[in-house]
Amino acid sequence: MTKIKTSALLLSCTVSLASCLLLAQVQRPGEYPRGEKPSPMMNFFVTSEPIGDGGNLGGLAGADAHCQVLATAVGAGNRTWHAYLSTQARPGQPAVNARDRIGKGPWYNFQGEMIAQDLAHLHGDTMELAHQGNNLNKLTGLTEKGQIVPGLYDYSDPRDNDWSYAKTTRFSTRHEMLTGTQTDGTAFTDGVDHTCDNWTSNKSPAPGTSNGNLNAADGRPNAEIGFPDRNGGGSGSWNSAHGTRGCAQADLPKTHGIGLYYCFATN
Amino acid sequence: MAEKHITKPRAHAIVLCTLTLASCLMLAQQNAPNTQGVTPPPGSPTPTPARMTFFVTSVGLGKGGDLGGLAGADAHCQALAAAVGAGGHTWHAYLSTQARPGQPAVNARDRIGTGPWFNWSFAQLGAPQNAIISADLAELHGDTLVQAQRGSNLFKQSTRNEHGQVIHGIGDTPPIQHEILTGSKWDGRAYMDNADHTCNNWTSSSTGSAQVGHSDRIGNGSSWNSSNATKGCSQAALESSGGAGLFYCFAIN
Repeated sequence: MTKIKTSALLLSCTVSLASCLLLAQVQRPGEYPRGEKPSPMMNFFVTSEPIGDGGNLGGLAGADAHCQVLATAVGAGNRTWHAYLSTQARPGQPAVNARDRIGKGPWYNFQGEMIAQDLAHLHGDTMELAHQGNNLNKLTGLTEKGQIVPGLYDYSDPRDNDWSYAKTTRFSTRHEMLTGTQTDGTAFTDGVDHTCDNWTSNKSPAPGTSNGNLNAADGRPNAEIGFPDRNGGGSGSWNSAHGTRGCAQADLPKTHGIGLYYCFATN
Repeated sequence: MAEKHITKPRAHAIVLCTLTLASCLMLAQQNAPNTQGVTPPPGSPTPTPARMTFFVTSVGLGKGGDLGGLAGADAHCQALAAAVGAGGHTWHAYLSTQARPGQPAVNARDRIGTGPWFNWSFAQLGAPQNAIISADLAELHGDTLVQAQRGSNLFKQSTRNEHGQVIHGIGDTPPIQHEILTGSKWDGRAYMDNADHTCNNWTSSSTGSAQVGHSDRIGNGSSWNSSNATKGCSQAALESSGGAGLFYCFAIN
């Protein structure tokens, strides 16, 4: 009698455990998909790691190299990778538009899902396309390792705002992508910093000059960011939502970024 | 004695089973979005439900696309708002109806006042992040190219129901309810063609189709108000594609 009861108990336990595991199978933000490799079609990803020196990426060249290293580590180094970043015009140096750096598309993510058909689809060049939107969202904006980028409320923790915590916690909120661009993918032309001095600055604003304002202002180190999960920052824009609190690595987590950015293959 | 030998491993099995199940449930819990609203941090201002001027209905009317016309839908908004202390406003459903002989079309965007609109978080917490849905009609609908490219503040974490809960969207635990009835084009206006986009002006629970938007802005592009058409107008048809017959409510005053 007892023996039957025990096996019945074990059976029900196994069944409930199995159904529970099925539930938990949904990939959580920050997790790696088990044993999977990127689709051979992958020509878009979000960097899984920041360079780690705030807005100083070593210029466009340094940022591109980081894309290439990350891609190579997962077997996708056969393509030429560019960071989706703009730089602003300087005397004798024309502006560079992020949209002019990334080839023509279509672009696919880790899973082989299409992010956008072409440049017009990616940026919403017409009213129709802009309202339709591209296919970049929380479940498609994956890193080169296939991770969903943790966003608002995923693991809500006040320490998310602290770089020393975020640095060692893969699950901290980190959905702000450096872009330095306007919504149409072009560089800003207003003469104030939106690119952490063309991706060479790791400076914090002078005390008292930030005041929590995220808009770029004269003389304040700042970078424009967007959200792969389209969730936050007053607009949910993927490439141009708002600025940062500064350009030091420790400034970026204050608004839920850690210095990640988009990489696209140009071929 | 023999009895004891059988009982002991059984007790162990129970403890082990409970522990594994508990930790497993804890794991699974992290898939769920924040559906409990937000607990006000210490020192927050007194919750003022009347400050809420936007929500997604927590429940539909249960009859698919039959909402009892615009009047029935508006009454549903009003009743849900009143139940949480926000009944002092005049509430309208964000829904369009199509033209009929002797009956002009009604545009959803012309029914919701002029904004700005605030969600549950604003009413409960004062002025936390993601509390304002949109400043005005132009921003809400992306009337200029830049506004359209950028999008409004209506996205998953701000698009809450009248209880402050986030609507389950793509990637969350089922049931997913992110297909929100609108019957509208992306500019917030009614369709002018002859096809049904409004479940027969919100009176059909069988044949027809309704245009929906996505409260999480995921799926078929990223439009909050016009992403795809439902497979039919029955409750089952709405649920088959990730909807529940929910709709947006805006206070017009």
